[in-house]
Amino acid sequence: MSDTIERVKQVTVDLLGIDVDQIADQSRFVEDLGAESIQSIELVAAFEEEFDIEMDEDAALAITNVSAAAVFIDKVIAGG
Amino acid sequence: MNPEYRKLSQADIELLVANGCRSDSWEKVSVFINLDINRLNGCEFHGAVSIGRQELMLESPDGLPRLAQLLNSRFNNVTIGNNCHIANVNGWLSNLDIADQVIIENVGSIICDGESAFGNGQVIEVLNEGGGRELKITTRTSAQTAYLNTLYRHRTKLINRLDAIADDFTEKSKSNRAAIGNQVRILNCGTLRNVQVGTGAHLEGVSTLENGTVDSSLEAPTFIGADVTADNFIIQKGAKVIDNAMLSACLIGEGTRIGKQFSAENSALFANCEGFHSEVCSILAGPYTVTHHRSTLLIAGLFSFFNAGSATNQSNHMYKLGPVHQGILERGCKTGSGSYLLWPARVGAFSAIMGKHSANFDTADFPFSYLDIINGKSYLIPGMNFFTVGTLRDGLKWPNRDRRKNADKLDLIIFDLLSPFTVQKMLRGQQTMQELYIKTVKGQESVLHNGIHIKRLLLKTCGRYYQMALDMYFGDLLVRRIEALGQEATPAAIGSPDPDGEAGNGEWVDVNGLLCRQSRLERLIVKIETGQINDFDRLQAAFQALYSAYRSDEWNWYLAIFEELQGKKLSEATNEDLEGMLDIWQKATRKYLNLVANDAKKEFADNVRKAYGIDGYQDDDFTAVRGTYSNNKFVKQLADMATEFERRYHFALNSINQQQK
Repeated sequence: MSDTIERVKQVTVDLLGIDVDQIADQSRFVEDLGAESIQSIELVAAFEEEFDIEMDEDAALAITNVSAAAVFIDKVIAGG
Repeated sequence: MNPEYRKLSQADIELLVANGCRSDSWEKVSVFINLDINRLNGCEFHGAVSIGRQELMLESPDGLPRLAQLLNSRFNNVTIGNNCHIANVNGWLSNLDIADQVIIENVGSIICDGESAFGNGQVIEVLNEGGGRELKITTRTSAQTAYLNTLYRHRTKLINRLDAIADDFTEKSKSNRAAIGNQVRILNCGTLRNVQVGTGAHLEGVSTLENGTVDSSLEAPTFIGADVTADNFIIQKGAKVIDNAMLSACLIGEGTRIGKQFSAENSALFANCEGFHSEVCSILAGPYTVTHHRSTLLIAGLFSFFNAGSATNQSNHMYKLGPVHQGILERGCKTGSGSYLLWPARVGAFSAIMGKHSANFDTADFPFSYLDIINGKSYLIPGMNFFTVGTLRDGLKWPNRDRRKNADKLDLIIFDLLSPFTVQKMLRGQQTMQELYIKTVKGQESVLHNGIHIKRLLLKTCGRYYQMALDMYFGDLLVRRIEALGQEATPAAIGSPDPDGEAGNGEWVDVNGLLCRQSRLERLIVKIETGQINDFDRLQAAFQALYSAYRSDEWNWYLAIFEELQGKKLSEATNEDLEGMLDIWQKATRKYLNLVANDAKKEFADNVRKAYGIDGYQDDDFTAVRGTYSNNKFVKQLADMATEFERRYHFALNSINQQQK
């Protein structure tokens, strides 16, 4: 989980072009990090590539913050 | 002379003169045999004037009764039907045939000053401002006719034949007298010159109309309102043109609403369009083209089911050979505030365009997309507009907003969002994205395709959005088939072609609102070219046949696509296969409804509450004004859709299982 969350943060930082110290576990992608709707889709795609997984679009786009994204990704990796 | 009419007697003339009437040719005035001559007061008659029986009280739009009478008006070569109220025409009523129960009051002049076709045959330069796509407008011109006439210019024989149909109609429309139909109301208007006014039309406060037809019927009355000016126009049944609108060389379609200083030139706006505030020039606007904002210009473009955001603009001019460029926004597009497109460009159906685009691109094979600007460049996000609240709401609202009340509707409209037209494009778009993904190296941020960038990361993800749409569409077709077959839903029956449909996986086209197989359209074109279709009645009937074939053709197209994609015929599918297909449909539809629901949730998120609660109590203020997610009307509708979907799924599954037993 701790590795996942750090990788989620790094992907997010790279894609949204923000500083790494701006992002926390509970940061919300839209409200706190300023992700626009198109960027939300890009984030899903970037997570998929980073973790070599395929995420259900509806469930993935319903995720609102960094920590929830990491939990979700771990679940997908575990085949849940 | 009509046997019910008679010449004026000397006693009549004396009474008329006593009532303030005058004429230099009393002998040319004929009246209904039992006309009460006292119904004519303060009138001047020139040339041949005939006056019908004047007995009734008429109902006026202001709710106050009007006595059938002629009062303080001037007539020159006019026939007046029965029970008309004509009062205070300060200029002239000249060369007119006024039907029954007409009210004309406080009007400058209504005249026909020579032979006129009343706007029929008027050439308008649509789509390409520089010319080359001229359309001859008539009261019978439909969105479909205009499509062929303007977009098939390479078929010279076709264009000549279509022009001949329009010319023939125009010739038959010509007259030295203008007709004012039954129950027309013309109140407080300025000048109408060479204008036909159809049955039941209501003109009030109009400034000037010149060389045109206001088509109308009692079931679909047309209204022209305050300070409207129009020249060289056709306004079709049930339209409403009000509030200082300015029209020049335009066709206004059935049920279309125009107002609030809207100005239009060389443009055709077909059924159920809305034009307010803004400006259009040389546009071919198919059904449901909507522009509401003052700073919006639509120019040299093809649109339908379109919604223009404020300050939408396009340029068709590169200061070289003149305004020769054109653009196509396929059905269902919308533009965000301040969006700009550099023509020439073509945008795929149901796409949302945001930002200022200075590239010339073609996204026709990528419907339901977002087009946005990232770091000054145009980017395409394929499929992203498929699962938005806006697209779903649009799809639900259009059929419910058909304002056309006349039975003889001209424009033929298929409303489906998912159809062979959009789905064939998604199949191609999906294939293209797969190929681009394979070709693109991992470090590459984006690929340039047909003039627009697509982010490499999205090539895979967006392909899945299309797959979701395809799964939903194909599943829905299957379920519709099972529902129609009921107890007879065996795999063989399900997989059988529709005898009324055309076979094959051929191309589909959007003929300005009418979706059809290109092969059928081609045959229709040949019939026009060979003269088998040589008038508007036959042309309308031929388009109607295409319209009627839609569902049958759609099913047969699906059978062919199924075979192409699955490698076997649907009729060879086992019950297990069918169950599997229903499962795929279920997953895709549930996913779609969840995505739309998520999109709707964004309308209630924290970040959209920023301008609420001016002195605190932000959530309370927001809830008071916007309500809650769960109480939202659309969200409830979405829940109902989910319930209905589950019912259909279980019905289809049970039908198949019944067959197994």
